[in-house]
Amino acid sequence: MMRRVTKIVPMIAAAVAVVLTGGPAQASTQIPGAPQDQPIALKGATIHPVSGPPIKQGVLLFAKGKIVDIGTDIDLPRDVQCIRLNGKHLYPALINPYTTLGRVEIGAIRQTHDNYEVGVINPNLRAEVATDPDNELIPTTRANGIGHALTVPLSSGLILGTSAVLKLDGWTWEDMTLRAPVGMHIAWPTINIRHGEGAKSEEKQWKAIEKRIDKIRQAFNEARAYKKARMAESSQTVPVHETNRKWEAMIPVLKNEIPVMIHAERVSEIRSAVEWAEEEGLDIVLVTGQDAWRVAPLLERHDIPVILKRVRSDPTERRWEPHDNALTNPRKLHEAGVKFSLAAGTTPSYQRNLPYHAAAAAASGLPKEVALKAVTLHAAEILGVAERIGSLEAGKDASLIVTDGDPFEVRTQVTRMYLRGREVELSNKQTELYEKYRTKYKRRGLLEE
Amino acid sequence: MIKMRPCFWALVLGPWVLGLMGLPSLLRTAVGAEWETTKPVEGIREPSPNVHALVHARIIPRPGELIRDGTVVLRDGRITDVGADIEPPPDARLWPCDGLTIYPGLIEPYCEVGAKEPPTLSKDLRHWSSAVRPDYQVLNRFEPSDKALKSLRKLGFAVAQIVPKKGLFRGKSGVVTLGNDDSARTILAQELAQTLSIGSVDVPEDYPTSLMGRIALVRQTFLDAAWYAKATRIRRRYPDKTDSVESNRMLRELAQSQDRMRPFLAISRQANDFARLFKLGKEFEIPLWIRGNGTEYRKIPLLKEADVPILLPLDFPEKPAVSAVEEALDAGLRELMHWELAPENPKRLNSAGIRFALTSHGLKKRADFFEHLREAIDRGLPRKAALAALTTVPSELMGLEDRIGSICQGKQANLVVSDGPLFAKESDIRDVWIAGKRYEITSEPEVDPRGKWKVKAHEEGKDGRKLSLRFKGEPSKLSGKLHIKDKKEAIKLRNLRIIGRRLRFSFDSDALGHPGVARATASVENGDMMGTVTFPDGQTASWQAVKREQPKSSEKEADKNQSEPDESKNRTEAGQKPEPIAEVNFPFGAYGRDGPPKQPRAILIENATLWTCGPPGTLKNADLLIEEGVIEKVGCELDAPGNAKVIEGAGKHVTPGIVDAHSHTAVDGGFNEMGQAVTAEVRIKDALNPQHIEVYRQLSGGLTTALVLHGSANPIGGQSQVIKHRWGGDAERLIFEEAASTIKFALGENVTRKNWSDPPERYPRSRMGVEELIRDRLRAAREYQAAWERYRNAVSPQEKIPPRRDLELEALVEVLKGKRKVHCHSYRQDEILMLIRVAEDFGFRIGTFQHVLEGYKVADEIAEHGAGGSTFADFWAYKWEVFDAIPYNAALMHKVGVLTSINSDSARDRYEWAKRLNTEAAKAVKYGGVSEEEALKMVTLYPAIQLGVGDQVGSLEQGKDADFVVWNGHPLSSYTECEETWIDGRKYYDRQADQAARKNIQELRNRLVQKVLQSDQSGDKGAEEEKDEEKKDSLP
Repeated sequence: MMRRVTKIVPMIAAAVAVVLTGGPAQASTQIPGAPQDQPIALKGATIHPVSGPPIKQGVLLFAKGKIVDIGTDIDLPRDVQCIRLNGKHLYPALINPYTTLGRVEIGAIRQTHDNYEVGVINPNLRAEVATDPDNELIPTTRANGIGHALTVPLSSGLILGTSAVLKLDGWTWEDMTLRAPVGMHIAWPTINIRHGEGAKSEEKQWKAIEKRIDKIRQAFNEARAYKKARMAESSQTVPVHETNRKWEAMIPVLKNEIPVMIHAERVSEIRSAVEWAEEEGLDIVLVTGQDAWRVAPLLERHDIPVILKRVRSDPTERRWEPHDNALTNPRKLHEAGVKFSLAAGTTPSYQRNLPYHAAAAAASGLPKEVALKAVTLHAAEILGVAERIGSLEAGKDASLIVTDGDPFEVRTQVTRMYLRGREVELSNKQTELYEKYRTKYKRRGLLEE
Repeated sequence: MIKMRPCFWALVLGPWVLGLMGLPSLLRTAVGAEWETTKPVEGIREPSPNVHALVHARIIPRPGELIRDGTVVLRDGRITDVGADIEPPPDARLWPCDGLTIYPGLIEPYCEVGAKEPPTLSKDLRHWSSAVRPDYQVLNRFEPSDKALKSLRKLGFAVAQIVPKKGLFRGKSGVVTLGNDDSARTILAQELAQTLSIGSVDVPEDYPTSLMGRIALVRQTFLDAAWYAKATRIRRRYPDKTDSVESNRMLRELAQSQDRMRPFLAISRQANDFARLFKLGKEFEIPLWIRGNGTEYRKIPLLKEADVPILLPLDFPEKPAVSAVEEALDAGLRELMHWELAPENPKRLNSAGIRFALTSHGLKKRADFFEHLREAIDRGLPRKAALAALTTVPSELMGLEDRIGSICQGKQANLVVSDGPLFAKESDIRDVWIAGKRYEITSEPEVDPRGKWKVKAHEEGKDGRKLSLRFKGEPSKLSGKLHIKDKKEAIKLRNLRIIGRRLRFSFDSDALGHPGVARATASVENGDMMGTVTFPDGQTASWQAVKREQPKSSEKEADKNQSEPDESKNRTEAGQKPEPIAEVNFPFGAYGRDGPPKQPRAILIENATLWTCGPPGTLKNADLLIEEGVIEKVGCELDAPGNAKVIEGAGKHVTPGIVDAHSHTAVDGGFNEMGQAVTAEVRIKDALNPQHIEVYRQLSGGLTTALVLHGSANPIGGQSQVIKHRWGGDAERLIFEEAASTIKFALGENVTRKNWSDPPERYPRSRMGVEELIRDRLRAAREYQAAWERYRNAVSPQEKIPPRRDLELEALVEVLKGKRKVHCHSYRQDEILMLIRVAEDFGFRIGTFQHVLEGYKVADEIAEHGAGGSTFADFWAYKWEVFDAIPYNAALMHKVGVLTSINSDSARDRYEWAKRLNTEAAKAVKYGGVSEEEALKMVTLYPAIQLGVGDQVGSLEQGKDADFVVWNGHPLSSYTECEETWIDGRKYYDRQADQAARKNIQELRNRLVQKVLQSDQSGDKGAEEEKDEEKKDSLP
């Protein structure tokens, strides 16, 4: 049911493009995009490369899945397919840096969850291998212009495993995986000393916290010892050691090949985590929430990039906190010189609303172009995939969206999406159901054609 | 402590004095207690005369009165005489009280000590809920531990009102003396007040689980009691013409209590409870006493108006944890303000003339009572008022003023003997007398040798040496030195200890001509020391010392020595600079107000883009004129009265106030009554929390009106409430008066508890059962309605037992009559259609289907039925029944003719959604191509119509309430922010004012945190260090 693009799709109809193609309304019927077999030139749109200023009436040429050239007057090959997009806008496909896409489908149904794992030290878990390409949330997320997502293992332990950047289109999880591992995720122990009735003594509480932090320390010590022993095996005198999958998975972290992505919320937790990473000499990315601005100088000093889990959010349980504490957080981080990307919370079906989280940050004073970078180029940089995605530049993947306006505006429609040069479906279970019931009411004369 | 020195001469001379005085009344009984006993004596009798005279005492017979040197005579448990010039009776045991002060025995007005749970009753006597026990007399099972009684007596309490502690109708309190065994105990009132709680029931019952459920049960029970009294009366009168009525002891008890105007001691747990309890008191005409909770100072006008006595606890909060910087972030502003203000609570009540008695109930450590009381006195509570709140006020409240509460002839011999003013820090209570029996509280006065002593040693040959001893430090950590005249260096005393009245120490006696270490002991009495010293060589000598100098007296001691107990004095009034203190605002804490925002007589908004959501559509460069809270005119170039407040609207967009058709904001104690499958009797309005911060926060998104719904735990849920977000008003002010009455129904997974891990077996568990249950209960309502009609139309209704008023069925009768709108939580198309058919069969129309995420599948049916649909913009996949939800739902329903709104379901994670319903509405444009104006109506006019307030709000039209929002851009744009939110022509939210409020909050927090830290002077090192850290790295 992949649609061959030969003409400009009218603006409103684009959102319901599936109408034109018809087909039975079944779950997860979207067919992955076909490999690009012909150079394509998108002409006439305003191109927002993100890495540079917008280009009005621009032309973007891509072939074999890669961007070849961008400009207003560029050479086109003879066999090029030209698509006129006057009045439209081109942006890099958006990146959601904090999701469980593909591993959680229905909130209340455990059978559809692949997040929890037994144990607290699970560095060897790989998020990508449990990603269901036919998960219904993926096409609905794509429809809002999100072409890539970091899928994060989110168990209840301390060392959670590694995340992967997914391209939200493909036949298998291997097809979809753009990069893995991306980061080793660590959930920093909660540091929340309770007082008053029923609370244990402060010393006892601290001891319990230290104990949990020590588990992380120990894991790193064990992993280092393991790495050393295995490295020494090349020497004749050293016996061969048994494989430990957990410590094996830690080796890229110890070599600083991938960062540790630390999930910490409270100021005290963030400080504690940063101190630990400093001691261990590790590169870290902080995955956090609305208290981040309170430690912005610390983050800036240590050059720690941040993934903000959710922008549109009520303040924490603090009643006195300003109502827009979460919304102004990105602006304050930006002003302090901290690099960050933005996400849209942990509710899987709501992660498609990423653009509106970025918009909320912009509405609260974050410069629009920084808000845009936070869900494109900066996200790509933080996730280590900037040479492939995140901006529209020659040599990068042709992963982009066509819109009829500012993608941060709710009323804007995403009319096309290309991922690695393949045009992908923007239809989904929801557009199909919409069509089905439009048909019902059209037949009854209750709805105009 | 009174030294027990029975004066033998008095006993010897007794008969003579007696003869002289010739009091015949005293001759009636030789010995005896205040009461007779039927208990046989075991073994030998041990009577002892029970006549006492406490002489040469300062006496405070009642608050505000003083006898400087007087006598109190006690005989057989009663006070027989008190005054300045009283000759003790000759048979009295004399108790010299020089330097001591006698107060009336204190009264503890709220005490759960010794209160046991009521015995379980057999099934036929029980109320269906074990939380209803008005029959229970707590004194029937009064089993206090000696320790607990002692802890009360230690504080001077001689009498307590004992109250039962579990359930809603907990039973009857009683008043009892606090002697430590049965024979010494007097019951002053066997049954005094009915105890009423709206707190958690604490008994094993499934229902109610929520505050509103508890209030509903209380109301139903009062109604039942009234009905029961009436029914049994009619039954007695017309036994032939009436059916028998079940015998119900609980209802009988309750009705009797009401008949006798027995007070209801109602327990408040927080500031919002006062209004709730007063409402109950008014509705059922019961005289109230309120057990306070420490927040009274926030509700002074309300309490003053209610004129209800308060039993006031002194459980002031502990210091908020702020010593670590990160931790301080989590110390709430309310917590900090309460910490500062709570000790002033008694003073403020007193100044307002509100009657209160003080209780030690609720203190973590009861022994801290006086410490807290002193704090209250320091903060302005007059001592006289404090004493009254512990004596005369409670005695009058209990109707026992002729028996207890003061020292005068004929009253029970309850006294407190103190060695100083009762509330002074340095004072100790020596004895408490209860019904003429003495309980020693402080055994020995502490020996306090601090000061300078002149030593007279009797050492052979060394006479004439001038020695002196000096002691200093805390009594428990004493240090001392021996000074020898002419010698420069004093000798340090080692191993210095006080045991009882004996002092012992050792010292280097070289300087005294005895090389080595000497040991000394001495007994200390007032200003004299008598002791012996043993020198290293074994020689002993006796010595004496006389006190020469007192140590420098502390402020507290000065207080003890000088101040009169009955005069009011406190630090702030003592001419010191008054410290700043947090203003009491409402809602208490952050963003609270000191009153409702002003309503300008006229407001003119000029040159704005007006999204009227009415027939004129959207007007550019238009004006909006408002007079006295009502929209007067919409148009161009309007004339405004000269005094109109003008809002420059250029570049601004103005829309009607946002209306949220599905909210759970502003509810205390749970918005779900989960205890039963049908809870039509519960009312959200009983549990409204006007202080919920979301009421304010959501104003910042332009929200002005919301339907606060009961949850979805049951097929027929509770009565919901339409509110306006009038932040700063009390619960009554939140209520949108003109709105239609509503009730929540619910279908699907929630009511069948499909997502519970271990659901209780309660009908229904399937959608089939849901339908049946709803039909059955509607039938019951119809039959109930018919029963009432039969009764009302009866030839002689006075001979008939009326039907019992049933709050649950009453609400459902209103549904059947179309007077109460049903808002039904629903997802799947089958259940939506089912309820439409049920409603049609019963002849009423569903108000809205809420969520209605498959509404798009049966939109034609919903439209035809005439129900509305209120949906999420794009939320889905959180459970199985919402897996077919589509964001096109609103658009499809709307286009097929359903009155459609988009809501937030404001609760927990979704509170925030209510702050941006404008952009949620924009999703109807995105998904399904609804026009912008129609989309905006989905969060303004359409929900207003759904809530039955379409004539008042929802659009900018003449005659409607002036509820509007000023936006800084297009109202559907993601970049737009709300600048002002107005309700009834009053500005409830203003971005600038919000910024200013933040600044004030920050400053207030800083001041309070500093104050907490400064109060940490006891040397908490960690705190000091953290304080330094805060300076260098202050967290915003």
